Amino acid sequence: MLFNRSMIQRILPRIFVWALVAALGQAGLAMAGETLIVLNSGDATLSLIDRETRKTIGLVNTGKEPHHLMATPDDRSLIVASSAANELLFVDPRTGEVQRRIRDIADPYQIGYSPDRKWFVANAFRLNHVDLYSAADFALVKRIPLGKLPSHLAFDRASRFVFVTLQDSRKLAAIDLATQTVAWELEVGDTPAGVWMTPDDRYLLVGVMGSGDVAVVDWRTREVVKRIATDRGAHNFQALGDGRHVFVSNRSANTVSLIDQQTLSVVKSFKTPSGPDCMEVSADRKELWLTARWARKVAVIDIETGQLKFTIPVGRSPHGLFFMSHAPRV
Amino acid sequence: MDVYAGTVGVLQTWLFEAVVQPVLFATGLIGLDELAFGATEWFILGALQVLLLFIVLRPLETWRPAERWTDRQGVGVDVLYTLLHRLGMVPLAFFALLTPIADSLEGWTRLHGFMPWNVEDWWPGFAEHPFATFMAYLLVLDFSEYARHRLQHRLDLWWALHALHHSQKRMSFWTDDRNHLLDDLLQAVWLACLALLIGVSPAQFVGIVIFTRSIESLSHANVDLSFGRVGERLLVSPRFHRLHHAVGTGHEGAHRGCNFGVLFPIWDMLFGTARWQGSIEPTGVRNQDQGADYGRGFLAQQWLGIVRVAAVLRGRSL
Repeated sequence: MLFNRSMIQRILPRIFVWALVAALGQAGLAMAGETLIVLNSGDATLSLIDRETRKTIGLVNTGKEPHHLMATPDDRSLIVASSAANELLFVDPRTGEVQRRIRDIADPYQIGYSPDRKWFVANAFRLNHVDLYSAADFALVKRIPLGKLPSHLAFDRASRFVFVTLQDSRKLAAIDLATQTVAWELEVGDTPAGVWMTPDDRYLLVGVMGSGDVAVVDWRTREVVKRIATDRGAHNFQALGDGRHVFVSNRSANTVSLIDQQTLSVVKSFKTPSGPDCMEVSADRKELWLTARWARKVAVIDIETGQLKFTIPVGRSPHGLFFMSHAPRV
Repeated sequence: MDVYAGTVGVLQTWLFEAVVQPVLFATGLIGLDELAFGATEWFILGALQVLLLFIVLRPLETWRPAERWTDRQGVGVDVLYTLLHRLGMVPLAFFALLTPIADSLEGWTRLHGFMPWNVEDWWPGFAEHPFATFMAYLLVLDFSEYARHRLQHRLDLWWALHALHHSQKRMSFWTDDRNHLLDDLLQAVWLACLALLIGVSPAQFVGIVIFTRSIESLSHANVDLSFGRVGERLLVSPRFHRLHHAVGTGHEGAHRGCNFGVLFPIWDMLFGTARWQGSIEPTGVRNQDQGADYGRGFLAQQWLGIVRVAAVLRGRSL
């Protein structure tokens, strides 16, 4: 007999314990969860937060006055744009570990890669120009002076244009990337901020903070074709991830509106803590995570019920946020 | 930090949402909301600081006065200067005035390829040590203030303005902000130029600015207080700074004064302008004994400052 009764009696409990330990280990790994990275503009830090336990597990110092962050197209790095330090900080999007710094990027505020990955664009919000860099090596190709306070940016699908909101000039500007010249400017309203291309590549949505609506711009005909009333301080966009809906944060009203990009109308609104700004949607599209600028918190909203699920205290003036398992950006 | 967020942070959010943000929205200035949110924090910290200074330094002035006064006449106007500065009115006005100019200038320098020499770039890896960069900024800014202070005494035109600060014969913890507005403007321009050269200070500087201003208030206090033989050489004390305001030493001699340091006496020690000995002397400007009038009220003091500047421009000495 290969195993006698006493051997089985000795081994079985051990196997059970090992299995239990392994299972608990797995569960522990799952509980440890992934890292939420929050950019605290007022502190010049990144808060690293365990998404499951909601505990802060680390703090990373950034350059001065960081405002926006974005993942590289290959998701291997998260770029933090520090405007007063004139630098880009690259961190590991999973751990927050610093990978490298690129200096002499003038006053980078909002940043973005063109869809063809050829261009890296940085808006110099305070210094009124837009910089076009080669995405391959971050060499400056062209510095383009624009109107007052170039704020957010978006691209068309063919990477022909980068569209930039000019916050103090009340305009949206289109820069032709092939010629690196300003193709046109269009008045869109009082204090335009976030700008978003609809998935069909047809309209640009512009958050108009001063009038509390979203201007729908047909960028081919260069006209505002509709205004979607959202709330005071319409500011920034994030896709729900279903290819149809997009959130807009209304920073002065402490609300978020969900816009149907086919009907171009608001289908839902949520109350949020003070100063909602950048957003992230969970992969299952059940939770909306957002930074509450004036409350020093990250807030998590149940998308179906619109109820605030919980908040996480972070640093001063939290602006950008990111986690890997987010919903698709369309 | 949690305590700070739970007190100042909560107050800041409430004040911003209840008062500041609605005003911005109604006046079409909502694009300034981020700046205004930061300014709200400065306002709250300034108010708390003034309250704390009053609670701590006023009893200290009564307990151990450097000078015994029969009344506090002339101190009231210094209170006004303090409130105008520390509650943010004067800094806000200068910010609105100078920021567009400074930003245009900075934008122009960027378009022509110039980047500021950030302190963080002085040594490889320096940026990863926030405390070290913070101390570097503190030392650079304190030295810059020492240099500016020397010029305030050295240049007749600047002294015409700065003399107002020295004209207080009843120097108290309220006196620190008693400055001509043009003198304040020159300081703001000075600091803006420095920022163009070495980059702006880190965000954590808010706390140190509050600390520094508190030390400056203490150094002006009517308190007979020395930090001891070693301490006097590490941090500017009321005894050290009172010598700077004393008639006969504050604006006299080869250096046109002594003890110019704002936070650290090290600069006075290095450049030979430090004085340690001496009894407590009356404060003020020597020509006040010959009838020179610096004004009693805020407006009179501001006007007479301009009159003195005009006199210097006409070639008259003060």
